[in-house]
Amino acid sequence: MEDNRSNIPSISPAAIVVAAVFILVSAVGINWFTSFVPVVLPPQASAESKSVDELFYILVIIGGVVFFLIQGMLLISVIFFRARGDDRSDGPTYHGNPLLELVWTIIPSLVVVFLAVISFNVWSQNSEPKAAVNMVEGEEIAINVNGARYAWTHTYQTDRLGPDGVPIVINSGDTLHTYIGQNVDLELRTQDVIHSYWVPAMRVKQDLLPGNPATGGRPTEIRFTPVRVEGEAYPADYPIVCAELCGDGHGRMRGTVVVHEDESAFLEQFYEPAIHAILNPPADPVLRGEVEIQKYVCYSCHTLDSLDWESSTGPSLNGIAERAGDRVPGQSAEEYIATSVWNSQAFVVPGYTEQMAAFGPEVIDANNIMSPEQLYAIVAYLCTQGEQSDCDIDNASAAIPGAIKTVFGLEVDITFGQGDDEVSASDADGADASETEAGASGA
Amino acid sequence: MATIAVPLGAEAESREPDVVARPALSEYLRWSVDHKIIGVQYGVASFIFFLVGGAMALLIRLELLTPELDLMVSGAAYNSLFTIHGTIMIFLFIIPMWAAFGNFVVPLQLGAKDMAFPWLNAFAFWLIPPAAVVVLLGYFVTPAEAGWTSYPPLSTLFSGDGQTLWALGAHLLGISSIMGSINFIVTILNMRPPQMTLWRMPLLCWAVLATSIIAVMATPFLAGALTLLLLDRVAGTTFFDAAGGGDVLLWQNIFWFYSHPAVYIMVLPGMGVLSEVLSVHSRKPVFGYRMVGLSSMGIAFVGFTVWAHHMFTSLQPELRIPFMITTMIIAVPTGIKMFSWLGTIWGGKIRFTSAMLFALGFMSMFVIGGITGVMLAALPFDIHVHDTYFVVSHFHFVLFGGSVFAIYAALYHWFPKVTGRMMNERLGRIHFVFTYFGFLFTFFPMHIVGMLGMPRRVAVYDPAFTSWNQLIGVSAFVLGFSTFIVIYNIIRSYYRGPIAGANPWRALTLEWATTSPPPVTNFADDPIPFEDPYGYGTEASAAYLEAVDAAFDRRGARA
Repeated sequence: MEDNRSNIPSISPAAIVVAAVFILVSAVGINWFTSFVPVVLPPQASAESKSVDELFYILVIIGGVVFFLIQGMLLISVIFFRARGDDRSDGPTYHGNPLLELVWTIIPSLVVVFLAVISFNVWSQNSEPKAAVNMVEGEEIAINVNGARYAWTHTYQTDRLGPDGVPIVINSGDTLHTYIGQNVDLELRTQDVIHSYWVPAMRVKQDLLPGNPATGGRPTEIRFTPVRVEGEAYPADYPIVCAELCGDGHGRMRGTVVVHEDESAFLEQFYEPAIHAILNPPADPVLRGEVEIQKYVCYSCHTLDSLDWESSTGPSLNGIAERAGDRVPGQSAEEYIATSVWNSQAFVVPGYTEQMAAFGPEVIDANNIMSPEQLYAIVAYLCTQGEQSDCDIDNASAAIPGAIKTVFGLEVDITFGQGDDEVSASDADGADASETEAGASGA
Repeated sequence: MATIAVPLGAEAESREPDVVARPALSEYLRWSVDHKIIGVQYGVASFIFFLVGGAMALLIRLELLTPELDLMVSGAAYNSLFTIHGTIMIFLFIIPMWAAFGNFVVPLQLGAKDMAFPWLNAFAFWLIPPAAVVVLLGYFVTPAEAGWTSYPPLSTLFSGDGQTLWALGAHLLGISSIMGSINFIVTILNMRPPQMTLWRMPLLCWAVLATSIIAVMATPFLAGALTLLLLDRVAGTTFFDAAGGGDVLLWQNIFWFYSHPAVYIMVLPGMGVLSEVLSVHSRKPVFGYRMVGLSSMGIAFVGFTVWAHHMFTSLQPELRIPFMITTMIIAVPTGIKMFSWLGTIWGGKIRFTSAMLFALGFMSMFVIGGITGVMLAALPFDIHVHDTYFVVSHFHFVLFGGSVFAIYAALYHWFPKVTGRMMNERLGRIHFVFTYFGFLFTFFPMHIVGMLGMPRRVAVYDPAFTSWNQLIGVSAFVLGFSTFIVIYNIIRSYYRGPIAGANPWRALTLEWATTSPPPVTNFADDPIPFEDPYGYGTEASAAYLEAVDAAFDRRGARA
C-alpha cells in the first residue's frame, strides 16, 4: 500500500491552524466545563467528598480532552473531507498505519492505568477504618440505621443508663444527628428488601442487604466524617436518599443528616434533650403518644396532617377517631385502633393491601417492638385525631388489655394513670409467644 | 482505464436483467425459513416493540414533569412502567433488532443461500411473539415492579404473579437468543466462499460472530438465574431468601454475569454496522481492519470479567478494586474502534447520506457513553453516582446513542436491499436532526441531576430538580416525535421510493452483488467476493463495481 500513502493529505499550514484552534477550543471548553463543577455536585460536606471530587476533576479533564479530540476530529472530517458537488470518486486506498494503531492502543492503556491508580488511592484513603468513631462525650457509641419500606430509622445506643438499668437508646427517626469532625460509622440493616443509604453531600453510598433475622441480619457499614462547608449556617441539613429500588414508596424514602457545628452543639441541641425526653416522658398519654408514634415507621405509609405525614400507601389517619368505632362490629374505637397497630392483619381497610408490619412486645424485628404502655399512649394520641372522637380515652387502658387478649391471648396487667410510669406486662401463657411471632412473620 | 477481468460468479455473468418481485406482504405473516423473510419479521416485530417501549418512556417523562406523583395512581404503577420499558427495549427491541439485520445481511455478505439452519432460524423468531405475550400479559395481572434487573427479595417475596410471567417470558427470549446465535456462529464459520478467509470477512460478520459467541456463553447464566428465581417464586425454594439460608447477592452475580455481556450483545453489532457504513459512505477502506475485527473479540472476552461493577455498592469492599481495573481495561478496545473509525473517514470522500449521518451521530454520542463509562468504573466516583440518573444517562448514551443510532444507520443503509426502494434522503436528514438534538437534550442533563442527588427509578423527587426534569421531558417528546418521521419515511419509501437497483451505494461487499431484493436463493450460483471488502479507491474495485452495475439491472437513481 506504499504507493497510496501519498494520497493522504500531508501536514499543511491549514492543518496546523486547525490543530491550534482545536487545542484552544478544548482548553477553553474544559476550563468552562470545570467552572460548572460546583453547580453539578452537591456541597462538599465530608472529608471523603473532597477526595472524590478531586478524582472527578481529573476524570472530567481527561474525559474532556477525549471528548473534544473525537468531536473535533469528527467536525474536521465532515468539513474538510466532504465529497463536493458531483464528485463521485473514491478516497485514498489507505488501509492503516501500525504505528498509529499502536499509539492509540498504548496511550489509552496508560491513561487507564493512571486512572486506576489514582482511583485506588482515593478508595483506600476513604475506606480505611478510622479510630475513634461515633465519639460522644469521649466514648464510642453504636449508631444503627434500619431501612424498612419506606423509611429510615436511626438509633443511638448511648452509654447512659435508664431507671431500669438498661442503656438508653435514642430513636431519632429519619434524622441522623452528627457534628463537624465526628467520624461517623453506621451499621446498616434492612428489615425487608435491599435499600441503599446515600448521602449525596457526603459522596457515600452503601446497600443494605437482607440477612437472616435469626442470626442478627447482614449488617453493612458506611463511614464518613462531616467537615465545615463555607458559608453554611449550622446546624446544616443534608438529604439522605434511598438509591436502590425498594417498591411503591422508593422515591419517598428519604431522611436528613443534621450536622451540628461542634460536639457541644450536638449535645445541647440533640443528645441531651433526647435523653431528657426519654427519662421524663410526658405524663399526659396524648402528648406521650405524639412522641412515641414518631419513633416508628408509620409515617412512611400513612397520611396525618397533624404531623405533616403524607403517603397513600396505607389509609389516612386524619380523622381516624371518627371512623374507628364503625370499622369492625363489636369493637369500640379504642379497641379497633389498638388491634390495628398490634395485629395489623386482623382487619385490612378496603382498597389497601396487607403491607403493614406487626408491632408488639415480642416481634422479631427490634425496630417494631412496642410495649403496652407505648401502645396505650399511641392509641390515646390517635383518639384525638378527629372532630369528635368515639374513643373513651379513659377506657383506653382497659381497652388495650382487652385488645391484647382478643388478639394474642396474652394476659396483661396494666395500670397507666396520670404521672404513673409503673407499667408491667406479664406473659400469662408462655405458649402464646409463638402466636406473636406468627403474627410478625405474616406481616 | 485498462479493462480488468472481474469474476462475479456464473450467475451474475449470464444474468438477464429483470425486476425481482418483492415477497407479498402476507409472506411476512407466515412461517418461513427464508432468512430474508425472517430478517424482516424480526425487524418489524422489534420496531413495533420499540414504539411500545418508547411510548412508555414518554409516560415516564410525563410523570416526571412534576416532582409529585400525578399521572400514575401509585409509585408501584410507575415502577411497573419502567420495568416493562426496560424489558421491552432490551429483550424485545435491541437484541431481536440485531437478529433482524444479522439475519438479512450476514448470509448475503457471505454469499450464502441461507443460514446454516433455516428451520432453527424460523423457530428462534417464532418464540418471540409468545414470549412477548407472556411478558406483556404479566403487565395486566399484578405487574412486575422490580425493574428489569429484578433484584430479590423485591422480586421474590414482595412481588405478584406478573413477576413470574416476566421470568417465564425472559426465559423464552433467552432460548430464542441462544438458538439464533448458534446459527450465526455456524453460518459465519462454515458458509463463507472459499475465497473469503476470516481476514477478508466483512466487519459486520466479525461483530455478529463476536456477539453470538457472547450470547451463547452468557445467556445460559440468565437461564440459570431465572430458573432459581422461578423456583423461589413458585416452588418454595430459598436460593435468594436469607431467612432460608439463601443469598440475595447470588442473583446479582449470576444476573450481571449475563447482563453485562448483554450490553455488548446490544452494541457490538452496531459497531459492525458502523464499520460498514463509514467505509462505504466515505469511499475509503476501514482503517486498521484487523484491529477493528480483533477488538470485537477483545471486548467480548474482557466483557465477561467486569460484571460486578454493577454491584459496587453491595459487593464486599475488598472485591471492588479488581472489577474496577477490568472495567477500565475495556475502554482500550473500544477506543481502538473509535480511533479506527476516525481514521476511516479521515481523508475520505464523505457522502452525507442519512445512513452516514446516523453513523457519525453514533460516534459523536457513543464517545460520551464511553467517557462516562470510565468515570463510572472509577470506584470512588461511582459510589456517589451509582443507581442515579448519571447511570441512566450513561447507559442511554450507550444503548440509544450507540445501538439505536446504529440501527437507524443500518436501516437507511440496507433498506434499499431489503425492499428494492431508496428511502427519502431529505426526510432522513430531518429525522437525524430531530433525533440527534432530541436525544442530546434528553439524556445529557440526566448526568447533572444524577450527580446533584436524584436517584433512578423514582416517581417523586426533590423539587430542586424540577426544571432539569422539565427540560428532559420536553426534549424526550422531541425525540419521540422524530420516530414518526422515520415511520412515515419507511411506509412512503416502501411504496413510492425510487427503484434502488442492485448496488445503490456502490459497495464492495457481497450483499450488493445481487438484485434488490435478492431472489429466494440470494445468488443463483456461488458468487465470488471482491478480494478486499473495503478496497475502495483502486482500479480493481472500480472495475468490480462497474461489472456489478452491468450485471444487474440498474434503473434507480444514484445515491
